[in-house]
Amino acid sequence: MVKIVIDGKEVEVEEGLSVLELAEKIGVKIPTLCYHPAVSAYGACRVCIVEVIEKGLSKLTTSCTCPVESGIEVKTNSEKVKKTRKLIVEILLARCPDARIIQDLAKQVGVEKTRAPQKNENCILCGLCMRICREIIGVDAIGFANRGHKRKVTTPFEIQSDVCLGCGACAFVCPTGAIKIEDVEDKRKIDMWHTELAKVKCERCGRYFFPESAVEHVKRKSLQDIDGFLKLCPDCRKRVLANKLVCGW
Amino acid sequence: MSKKIASLRELDDLRKRGLKSLYPDKPRIMVGMATCGLATGGKKVFEILSKGIEKNGMDAKLIPTGCLGYCQKEPLVDVLRPGWPRIIYQQMDPEKAEKLLDNINQGNIWRENVLAKMEEDEFLIFDEKRKYPSGSEANLNNTPSYQQLPFYKKQLRIATRNCGFINPTNLAEYVARGGYYSLFKVLTQYEPEQVIEEVINSGLRGRGGAGFPTGRKWIYSRQAKGDIKYVICNADEGDPGAYMDRSILEGDPHSILEGMIIAAYAIGAREGYIYVRGEYPLAIERLKEAIHQAQDYGFLGNDILGGRFSFSINISRGAGAFVCGEETALIASIEGRQGEPRPRPPFPAQSGLWGKPSNINNVETWANIPVIIARGADWFSQIGTQRSKGTKVFSLVGKINNTGLVEVPMGITLREIIYDIGGGIPGGKKFKAVQTGGPSGGCVPSWLLNLPVDYEQLTKVGSIMGSGGMIVIDEDTCVVDLARYFLSFLQDESCGKCTSCREGIGWMLEILTRITHGKGEEGDIELLKQIAEVVKNASLCGLGKTAPNSVLTTFLYFRDEYEAHIKDKQCPARVCRDLITYIINEEKCTGCMRCAKECPQEAIVGERRKPHRIMQKKCIKCGICYETCKFDAIKVE
Amino acid sequence: MKRVLLVNWEKCIGCRTCEMICSLLNEERCNPTEARITVIKFEEKGANFPVYCQNCEAPACEAICPAKAIYKDDITEAVLVDVRRCIGCRMCILACPIGGLSFHPARKEIIKCDLCKGDPACVKYCPEGALEVVSLDTIGVKRRRENIRKFSSYLDMMTGGKE
Repeated sequence: MVKIVIDGKEVEVEEGLSVLELAEKIGVKIPTLCYHPAVSAYGACRVCIVEVIEKGLSKLTTSCTCPVESGIEVKTNSEKVKKTRKLIVEILLARCPDARIIQDLAKQVGVEKTRAPQKNENCILCGLCMRICREIIGVDAIGFANRGHKRKVTTPFEIQSDVCLGCGACAFVCPTGAIKIEDVEDKRKIDMWHTELAKVKCERCGRYFFPESAVEHVKRKSLQDIDGFLKLCPDCRKRVLANKLVCGW
Repeated sequence: MSKKIASLRELDDLRKRGLKSLYPDKPRIMVGMATCGLATGGKKVFEILSKGIEKNGMDAKLIPTGCLGYCQKEPLVDVLRPGWPRIIYQQMDPEKAEKLLDNINQGNIWRENVLAKMEEDEFLIFDEKRKYPSGSEANLNNTPSYQQLPFYKKQLRIATRNCGFINPTNLAEYVARGGYYSLFKVLTQYEPEQVIEEVINSGLRGRGGAGFPTGRKWIYSRQAKGDIKYVICNADEGDPGAYMDRSILEGDPHSILEGMIIAAYAIGAREGYIYVRGEYPLAIERLKEAIHQAQDYGFLGNDILGGRFSFSINISRGAGAFVCGEETALIASIEGRQGEPRPRPPFPAQSGLWGKPSNINNVETWANIPVIIARGADWFSQIGTQRSKGTKVFSLVGKINNTGLVEVPMGITLREIIYDIGGGIPGGKKFKAVQTGGPSGGCVPSWLLNLPVDYEQLTKVGSIMGSGGMIVIDEDTCVVDLARYFLSFLQDESCGKCTSCREGIGWMLEILTRITHGKGEEGDIELLKQIAEVVKNASLCGLGKTAPNSVLTTFLYFRDEYEAHIKDKQCPARVCRDLITYIINEEKCTGCMRCAKECPQEAIVGERRKPHRIMQKKCIKCGICYETCKFDAIKVE
Repeated sequence: MKRVLLVNWEKCIGCRTCEMICSLLNEERCNPTEARITVIKFEEKGANFPVYCQNCEAPACEAICPAKAIYKDDITEAVLVDVRRCIGCRMCILACPIGGLSFHPARKEIIKCDLCKGDPACVKYCPEGALEVVSLDTIGVKRRRENIRKFSSYLDMMTGGKE
């Protein structure tokens, strides 16, 4: 167990938590963009910064990556934190002016307009899509290319991915909705990854319900597929189940 | 038969062979063939000498050597003949090389292009001095001696002790000057903890820039739990203008290997990596050769020096990313991942390469270790200042007469470095400032020249020691443009992971660029300061955290120059093109039409023998007319 | 003790009250597509069959979830989804042989029967008593196995193995 002081309150907690996780536990709200409980902390967006005072020295650090250690004092909303976070949000607002989540964050921290040079991006380079694809899905279909201000997320050589499952997790976790998935008839298109994938046709109703590669992935990892249910869309699985019973009736 | 050294006697035998090579009974001619020597034509000089020796059937040894530090005077040729004074020749070329060879052949001392005579050679490890004939009979009394040359007088070469003195590919010569004796001492007389204690007591601080106490870092690595540990050398020297590490890697690669092997013994590592930037091909070649030789002689590999300690070193090549000089980005790069830093803690000493405890030090730090072991912590800690012990190698470049690498004791003043060693500013121009610490550092102005150079003093005035780059600027350098240059460098090199660095630097750069184009606005300086504060405090790694330094320090000392750009739309140094005008002084113009002919934009009009005029709309401010005019008739305003 | 839902389909009249009450309580409106229970109708035969998550002992969805967002509730042992941890990959939906999970398009969350924290509403509101909640004592276990054996090839996965 470790003891720290957070926003003036003394707290005792088990070892191994980050300051952000601790704050969540005790109900202190810290805004985040690139954090997701299912993946490793990355520290890219810098929105979750807090002030940490240790041995008399104060520094700003991201709460998602800062481990809770005995004897530290954390301030989640000091003047320094507020001022710094405001400017970071100003920077993000200039980069992605149309992103809803950034606009909401701006209102939250009191940023009305931005003085930074306007860009028209959708992606805040939080790396969530890449981390999810690598650490959770495990296929590593996308990653960061280029360095610095030219950085972007894309597939190797910016061509059709041969490992993308088409599961859509990347689009799901993307905070700004920059990744668009288009389901067109028998194909799923993800323009941002230059990828188009064929979908499986339900044997029973003929509806194209999910990308083949994802269904194959589930088949490989699944416990069993005794009656070939993977060739059916979830709705038809219900019908087939009921049918089994009724047939015997 | 195995060459492996397993006893002091065998080491001494190797030393004797090295001494025979260093002091042969025939002429020994060394040519500076480090990158500075090669860049100034050293290879041709070497080839001509080689041909000449063969053609004349001379019995002489021609040796390539490293950088002696006086890069301004390269190619340097060092001639040692038994019984003769040792002479170093400067700024050689093939023609001069032939003349030199003729003189040697005829048994004369060639007296042209002499840089200095070397009266004694210091073997730092053994605390020995070897004297050469003084040359009084040869009437060389007026020739300055190497130790008395203003460039070398105040230097104390510890890390660069062998550069320019040995053939870097000859391990016996390294041993002759004391190499691997410290390793032998450590493996036979010291417990690992004693080694660390010696390094702590020496006061050595990391020479890569952060200045963290080296011994303390070694303790953390030693204390870290685990069987597998790594020792890493950061040779990704990336600061523009800094090439100290390159010169040690090219001129004395074994000094780094020896340092690393000693550390591996101290912390309990069995494997090491040297991460060298890809832009240093000669350094990589020298290191590869040195590692092979060290393995052959039993200084690396299994059962080093016949004992039970084993250690091997791998080379990992960089691929052109400044950010990979940051230790966690460097580790990522060795692991084959994208070179981007990660948050700390955990620190590399606990969890570094592949999650194992790793000790990372800079090239110059490693080069100091054998000397500290040989001469002792007490000796080392008497050099330097209270909190900055030892020496530092600086690359003295820019608007300076004596460009080169200088190794001086900490505490020497900037004035001594720039004027005594550096020889002052060329062209009689006025000194403006010295930029230290590369893009992460700052400018120190003329009124602070008496500053003793050490870590704390430089930080106090708003700059940093950094890796040791010292760029001298004069009245013709615009500090706003200089800050803009550093920011654009950092913008390009930022890994792009964190918002504050990636976007913040871009924002600052946009404002600075506007200012240099005469579009600065009221409030720009305040805004720059606000952004600087956030980039400094909120960024993930050292690159971002120190990126605003160039802007912040130039504000501090040259605020008037900024305000001239913003308020008056003028560039006092006459550099920023949008703020300057080239005008022909009609009174001085003789109408010779030379400038009109050279002007790439055909922007100069005028008839022969009548004053010319520059058409401002066409002028691109290239400055060719200014350089062409022999009558000083062109002004820049 | 764990409790599960059992259905006596002979009693089901296809009124779909269960669907309405399920969506009403969970989504605050009566929309059958947002219910965690679906009644499959066979008009010609006059048969109706409510389908819902069986809260398997060895759930395929829990096993496949790459984000480890599916877990069993401490008290009811119902199979639940931690929507904060969910990454929306839909593999759980694909892995379930009976279509027990679905994706709420508007709220962008996985939805499935969670036994209403132990006191299922559909059981209370079914006018014919076709739905029952059963404690898994020895008899309950037997009844559940008999029930499932008739319609599913996934008996072992759902009931945890041999009798």
